[in-house]
Amino acid sequence: MIPVTWTTRDVACDVVSSADLARFRAGDEDAVRAVYREYSGLVYAVALRALGSRELAEEAAQQTFVKAWQAAASFDPARELGPWLATIARRTAIDLHRREARRRAVPLDEVPAADPAVVTLPVGVERAYDVWAVREAIDALPTDEQEVVRLQHVEELSHVEIAERLGVPVGTVKSRSFRAHRHLAGRLGHLRGSSG
Amino acid sequence: MTTDDDRIGYLSGEPGPELDPSDSEELDDLRALLADRSVWARPDAGLEDRVVAAITAEAGGTEVVPAQPRRTRRPALVGGLAAAAVLVVVVVVAALAGGGGNNGSHELAAALRPTALAPNAEGHATLTQTDAGWRIELDATGLPRLSGDRFYQAWLRNGEGHLVPIGTFNAPDDVTLWAGVSPDAYGTLTVTREDADGDPASSGQRVLIGRVQN
Repeated sequence: MIPVTWTTRDVACDVVSSADLARFRAGDEDAVRAVYREYSGLVYAVALRALGSRELAEEAAQQTFVKAWQAAASFDPARELGPWLATIARRTAIDLHRREARRRAVPLDEVPAADPAVVTLPVGVERAYDVWAVREAIDALPTDEQEVVRLQHVEELSHVEIAERLGVPVGTVKSRSFRAHRHLAGRLGHLRGSSG
Repeated sequence: MTTDDDRIGYLSGEPGPELDPSDSEELDDLRALLADRSVWARPDAGLEDRVVAAITAEAGGTEVVPAQPRRTRRPALVGGLAAAAVLVVVVVVAALAGGGGNNGSHELAAALRPTALAPNAEGHATLTQTDAGWRIELDATGLPRLSGDRFYQAWLRNGEGHLVPIGTFNAPDDVTLWAGVSPDAYGTLTVTREDADGDPASSGQRVLIGRVQN
């Protein structure tokens, strides 16, 4: 048994080079794609958590990258790009949320007092980094292990039910599950108890 | 003694020995993330092309659009001064009420772990109940001093995810914070990096995390 190390792991927070950033500022297509591929997961996660709609989250993500490009000259390269993009994504999502709330406008006295569109703004980015980190860890798993983890946690299936769904022995599901969770635990130890 | 295999078994839903409550609570948090559908959702494959098209169209192959002017920081500054004034009042009231109010009745501690955003950071906090509230002595290393429009903010969080701000600071060594909620109920202490942008919500950029222990 390989021991699991419950310690911090660096996630790829800022792997876009300063040269790529300069080319991104200039609107270079390859650089835009590099920034998108590195950070679209984070930006999309922020938007989706805030808006709860895939369609709106994609609109917010697109606006976020355009706004980032427009403001790129003001970005301090000494800072991390990810948090800056996440902040833009959150504000963009809030703007879209307000826009959608206005579209759904009805007379105020017909709106329930507890209607979230009236009394709250969308949730923030508090856990978006966690979502991003978990997503990266999952992406690093083999496809068959990803599927077991997804069925187990999202579909809430038992090992027996997963075995039936996938047409493989229960023992295979258990071994895939253990391998996958050992890998996830090793990569995500820093997230334990990290919400907030 | 909880082993790594016990934790992995718990994380994967295998029946096994009962874990230490703090372990099971933390692993439940990770399980909740694994069950979060936003973890598994992916944007449409065509989004990358749409983003590239939108930016290259605006760039037009010529001039880059000028940078947007920086937003004024005055509202946040006013808010910060107001918060500082409140803190001063709290401290003075605490001092008048009982020499700082440390009656020694209840003292807790939290070991603070780093996050991916600040892998070299670590720290410790001591939380002391006083008549004025909870005084929190925070001492951490591995974090650069922030100044200008950037600062650190500390929070207490309860099991439902509600955050209560407990103070802001520039450098994390020997900081005194105050909380008006009990760490018995708000048992997670976090430190985030913030921008003075007028937004009172957490940036989500956590650099230190710890659970309050007896």
